Amino acid sequence: MVATRVSGPSERAPGRRETERALSLAERMPRLVLEARRVSSTLAHGLHGRRRAGPGESFWQFRPFVTGEAAARIDWRRSARDDRLYVREREWEAAHNVWLWIDRSASMGFVSDLSETPKVERALVLGLALADTLVEGGERVGLLGLTRPNASRRIVEAMAQEIVGDEAGLAQDLPPRAALGRFDEAILVSDFLTPLREIEPALRTLAGHGTRGHCVLIADPVEETFPFAGQAVLQDPEAGISLDVGDAAAWGEAYRERIAAHRAGLLGLTRDLGWTLTLHRTDRPASEAALRLVTLVAARGAG
Amino acid sequence: MLGPLTFAAPFALAALVALPALWFLLRVTPPRPRRIDFPPLRIAADLAPRRETPARTPPWLLILRMLAAAALILAVAGPVWNPAGIGAAGGRNPLILLIDNGFSAAHDWRERLRVAIDAVEGAARDGRPVAILSLADPAAAAEARNPAAALERLRAIAPRPHLADRAAHLPAIGSVLERMPGAGIVWISDGVAGTGEGRFAPDLEALATKHGVDLAILKTDQPTLIAITGSEGGGRLTARVLRAAPNGRDTGLVRALDQKGLPLAEHDFAFAPNATEAEIVFDLPVELRNAIARLEIANERSAGAVALMDERGKRRRVGLVFGGTADQAQPLLAPTYYLAKALTPFADVQEPRGAKGTAESIGQMLDSQVSVLVLADVGALDEQTLGRVSTFVDGGGLLLRFAGARLAAGNDPLVPVRLRRGGRTLGGTLSWDSPKTLAPFAPESPFAGLAPPADIGVRRQILAEPDGELPSRTWASLQDGTPIVTAEKRGQGLVVLFHVTADTTWSNLPLSGLFIDMLRRVVGLAGSSAAPVAEGGPRPAAAVLAPRLTLDGFGALGSPPASAKAVSADYGDRATGEHPPGFYGPPDGGIAVNALRPDDRLKALDLASLKNARLGSLAGAETLDLRAHLFTLALMLLVLDTLAGLWLGGFLSRSTGGLLGRVGNRPAALLLAGLALLALAAPLPARAEEPAANRPNGFESALVTRLAYVITGDAAVDEASRAGLSGLTQMLASRTALEPGEPAGLDPARDELSFYPLIYWPIAPGRPQPSEAAIRRIDAFMRNGGTVLFDTRDALTSRPGDGPTPEAAYLRKMLATLEVPELEPVPIDHVLTKAFYLVETFPGRYATGQTWVEALPPAADGGERRPARAGDGVSPIIITGNDLAAAWAVGRRGEALYPVTGGDQRQREMAFRGGVNIVMYTLTGNYKADQVHVPALLERLGQ
Repeated sequence: MVATRVSGPSERAPGRRETERALSLAERMPRLVLEARRVSSTLAHGLHGRRRAGPGESFWQFRPFVTGEAAARIDWRRSARDDRLYVREREWEAAHNVWLWIDRSASMGFVSDLSETPKVERALVLGLALADTLVEGGERVGLLGLTRPNASRRIVEAMAQEIVGDEAGLAQDLPPRAALGRFDEAILVSDFLTPLREIEPALRTLAGHGTRGHCVLIADPVEETFPFAGQAVLQDPEAGISLDVGDAAAWGEAYRERIAAHRAGLLGLTRDLGWTLTLHRTDRPASEAALRLVTLVAARGAG
Repeated sequence: MLGPLTFAAPFALAALVALPALWFLLRVTPPRPRRIDFPPLRIAADLAPRRETPARTPPWLLILRMLAAAALILAVAGPVWNPAGIGAAGGRNPLILLIDNGFSAAHDWRERLRVAIDAVEGAARDGRPVAILSLADPAAAAEARNPAAALERLRAIAPRPHLADRAAHLPAIGSVLERMPGAGIVWISDGVAGTGEGRFAPDLEALATKHGVDLAILKTDQPTLIAITGSEGGGRLTARVLRAAPNGRDTGLVRALDQKGLPLAEHDFAFAPNATEAEIVFDLPVELRNAIARLEIANERSAGAVALMDERGKRRRVGLVFGGTADQAQPLLAPTYYLAKALTPFADVQEPRGAKGTAESIGQMLDSQVSVLVLADVGALDEQTLGRVSTFVDGGGLLLRFAGARLAAGNDPLVPVRLRRGGRTLGGTLSWDSPKTLAPFAPESPFAGLAPPADIGVRRQILAEPDGELPSRTWASLQDGTPIVTAEKRGQGLVVLFHVTADTTWSNLPLSGLFIDMLRRVVGLAGSSAAPVAEGGPRPAAAVLAPRLTLDGFGALGSPPASAKAVSADYGDRATGEHPPGFYGPPDGGIAVNALRPDDRLKALDLASLKNARLGSLAGAETLDLRAHLFTLALMLLVLDTLAGLWLGGFLSRSTGGLLGRVGNRPAALLLAGLALLALAAPLPARAEEPAANRPNGFESALVTRLAYVITGDAAVDEASRAGLSGLTQMLASRTALEPGEPAGLDPARDELSFYPLIYWPIAPGRPQPSEAAIRRIDAFMRNGGTVLFDTRDALTSRPGDGPTPEAAYLRKMLATLEVPELEPVPIDHVLTKAFYLVETFPGRYATGQTWVEALPPAADGGERRPARAGDGVSPIIITGNDLAAAWAVGRRGEALYPVTGGDQRQREMAFRGGVNIVMYTLTGNYKADQVHVPALLERLGQ
C-alpha cells in the first residue's frame, strides 16, 4: 500500500538544504552555451547599463541637489562630508528579464512513498538552480510578484529569503497577475492541479504583451498511477474536498483518464500562447528538467 | 465457588450474557476507512465512485474486542484464587492474629509474614477488625483495629533475637476475648517451645474453649529452626548445632569469623537422622582460636544461628618485669627478650616503659590490668608492692616467676614452695654431675602431653625445701626428682615458679620449643573460667556493662536498640527482650550474651494433644487476587485494539503523516520518550562518591612513582605544568636511575596525595582559592613527608620595592592557614644544591627569582665547615617564582615549548639540573649530605 503525506507550511519554504542542492544543480548546468547565446542578444536588446543615470542598481554618480527635488533623494552620507547636498544617481539599466514563479501551495507539499521528494522541494530546487544558472549567464532574474529582476551573485540566497518571507505565497495556487515586458520571459514551476478554466486566464494575462514563457509541471508518480485499492477516503489538502471511494481501484481508472485529459488541455493552452510545457516527475532526477529548461530558455533567447 | 476460585461480586458475571449483543454491535461498526491525501482530487472531484464494497470489521479484531470486554467483566466480578483458607470463616467477627516472632521464626519469616498478610487481607475483604499480637515482644494490651492499620502494624513486626515468652501474653488475649466475644484466633506458630513454656498451648486452648471461639494454628510440619551454641573448654572450641525436631535439614556448614567478619575456619556438621543435636569441634591453633568472635551457621539468617565468643577465651595480657638493671647493654641476652619472643604468638606482651626500679615497673603493669604478671629474677619486694601483688594474685591473677641470682638470695613469700638459700649447680667445674634433663610430665600436671626433648640441660637451679605438699605443687621435675616448675593456688589466683632463669645462663630450656608450649599452657590457665585451677580474671565482680553491638532477629550485628539494657559482668543467662544477644562492655574485656545458653536444648511444641484447635500448614495457602491481573489484561487488549484501529485507518504508516512518521520526524520527542521510559524502568541508584584511591589517578600512582602537579583550572597553566613535568620526567629517566611514570594531574580536594613525593603547584591568581578541605589535605601531605613546590611564576613582573604580585598575594592567602616552617633562600651549602648536580641557583623560565626552602638549623659554631648541610627531613615546601615548568616543558617531538628569558645560554639546561636536584632531594632526603663526606672517609681509611 502506497503511503502519502502532505507537508506543512514550514516545510514548504526553502531551507539550507534546498538552496545548497539548487547551487549544486546549477553548477552542473552547461552555462557556457547559454553565455554565448546571451552575448549576441545583449547586443540586440542592450542588456547592460545604458551609460547614463536612470533606474538601475549600480552607482552612477553624485550630483548636486537641485532645489525642488524630493528631499528623500538626498544621499545624506555623502552630503555630510561638506556643505553641499548631493543626490546619488544610479545607472539606468534595462535588461532582458526572466521572471520566476514557484508554486508553494498545499498541494505542492504532497509526497508519496514512490518518490521520497515532496513536489515543492523539487520545484524550489529546480527554480533556484535555474535562477542561479541564468544569473551566471548574465541574465536578470526576478520572482514574479515579489522582487525586481536582479543579477546578484547571491541570487539563490536572496530569492530563498524572499520566498521564506512570503506567507501569502503558501496559499496561492496560480501565478500572480502581472504585466511583463515584451522581451521578458516567465518560468512557472507548479503542479497545475487547478481546473483549466482557472489556469487559462492567468497564463493569458502573463503572456499579454507577447511575453514568452515556460511551464514546468511537477507531478508525483502517485498522481499519475493512482495505485490504490479498497475502501478509502480521498482528501484534497487545499479545497477541503473529500471523497469516499468504495473501490479505489475502479475509481482509479476514471481518474487516470481525467488527468491525461487535463494535461492535454494544458499542453494545448501553452502551445496557443507560444509557450513550452515541461513535464517532470519527482522520481526522476531534477537535472533532467533543469537541462531541458536551460536549453529552452537559451533557444528562445537565440531566436 | 469454583474450587479455590471465588468471586467477590458474582452478580457482575451476569454481564457476560451481553457479550453476543456486543458481537453484533461491533460487527456493524467497522474501523474507519483509510484516509489518503490526494491533491489531484480537485480536478477529479466530480468523478462519482462506480462501485462500492461493503466494509466489515475483520474477525480477529472482533475477537480481540470480545476478549477485552470479557476480561473487564470478569475483573469487575472480583475473582480471588484461594481466599484465605483457615480461620477465615468467621463471618464479621474480629480476628486475633498471634505471630511467633522469636529468632526461631526468622528462618522462614517471609513465608510467615505472607501468611499473616493473607489472613489480614482476607479479614479486610470480609470487613473484620483485626488484633495483632507478636509473641516475642513485651506483653501489651491488644486492640482490634481496622485491617488497614493492622496491615501496617504487621509489616512493622520483625523477628526478635531471643526466644518468645508466650505465656506472658495470655492475659492480653484473655482481655481481648472478654471485649470481643466470638472472635477467631489464628496463631502462626514456629513450633518451638520458648522460655517458661509448656503451658501456653493448653492454656490458649482452654481460653478459646471457655469463650467458645475458633482457634486455628498454622505451622510448618516440623520446626525448621537450626541453632548453635558454642563453648570453650579443655583448650578446644566446641560448637553444638541444635534443632527442635528432625526436619530434614541434616547437613550444613559452621563458620568461625573474627571481629571484622572475616572467616577463619569452617566445619561441616551433620545430624544423625533422628538426632536433634550435633557437636563439632574446632581444632585450631590458640592464636587463631583467640581471634574468633563469632560462630555462625552458614546461610542461616537467624539470631539463634549465631554464637558470639567473648573475651573470656581470648588472649591474655602479660606483663614482663625483670629484676636486673634497667639499662641493658645487651638487650638480646636479657630474660625479657626470651620471654617476649616466646609469649608474643599467643599473648599480649607488655613491658614497663620508663619505669625506674622494679617496684615502679610492677606497679605500672598492675595498673594496666594484666592478667599474667611475669617476674623474671626479681628479688625481695618492698612492703607496698608485695601487698599489691598479693592482692592481684588473690583476685585471680596469675603470677609467673623465674628464678635467678636475686631470687635465690632473697626471702620472699610470693613463691609456691619454700626455697633453699642459694642454688644448686650441676655439671660445673666443681661438680661431678652432668647437666640434668627433664623427667616426663605427670598426667595431672598442666604440661601433660608435652614431650620434653632429650637435649635439655639444666645446669643450675633453685631447690625447694622438702615438704609434705611439695609433690602436689610440682608441675615438672628433673630426672632426679627435684622440682623444676612448682605452682600454688592462692586465693583465686595462681603462683607459678620456674626454678631456672628465663635466659640461658642456668639452662637451655628457654631455647627449646618446649619452653613456648609450657608458657602457653601456663598462660592459658590465667583468667579463664574453664581453667582447672584458676578462676576468673581481674574483673570487678559486679561491673555493669552497657550493650555495644547487638544482634537483630536475623543474626546481623548492629547498634543496640533503645530497649536494650546493660548487664552485669557475670551475666550467664540466655538473651531476653531487655538484654538482646550481642557484645556488652568495652571491646577488650566485655562479655558476649547469646540467644541460647551453652547448655540449652530446643524442644518442639506439643500441639498434637490439643483437641479443639484446627491445625493448618503454612504452605500452599497463598491467596491471589486476580482483579489486578484481569484489569491489566483488559487494558493491554484495549491498547492493542486502539493500535489495530489506527493501523487499519492508515495512521501507522511511516513517512506520510502517519503516527510513526510523525513521531519519526521528531527525534527529540522520541529521545525524550525513550529517556522517560528508561527512567521508569531503571531508576539510577544513588551512588556514593568513590574513594580517592579508586580514581584512575590513584590506582596508577600506587604502582609507579610519578611526579604530580595541581590542576588549577587555568587551561594554559595546566598544560604548561603537564608538559613541564613530562619534560622533567624524560630528563630524569635519561640521566638518573629514577624512571618516573607519566606525571599526574591532581585535584587536591579529591585525589589521594600520599602516592606522590613531590607536587608541583603553579599559582594561577585568576582561579578561586582551594577549599578548606583541600588545604587540610595539603597540610597532612606536608606533615607526612611530602614536598610541595609552589611556583608563583612572577619573577619577571615582581619588583623588590613594589607590593606583592597577584600570584604572591594569592599564595600568601592560601598559606595563611597552613603550618609553614620558617623559610630562607636556598643557602649555598644546602643539600638541595648538591643532591645530584652541583648547582647554585634554580632558574626556570626566568632566572631572577629567589628559591625558598625550610630554614636549616644554624651551622654548628667552631666545627669544621661541612660542604653540605641538611636538616632532619626534607623541606616540606619549596617556593620559587621562576616558572620552572615552562622551562622544562617539551612538546611531543622533544622541542622546547616556551622561550627562556635571560642571557645565559645554558639556562634551560640549568633549569633541568635544578629540577633533577629537587626531585632527588625529595626522594633521598639528607642522604647526599652524608655522601659528601665519602672522600674524606676514604682518605681516612687509606691511612
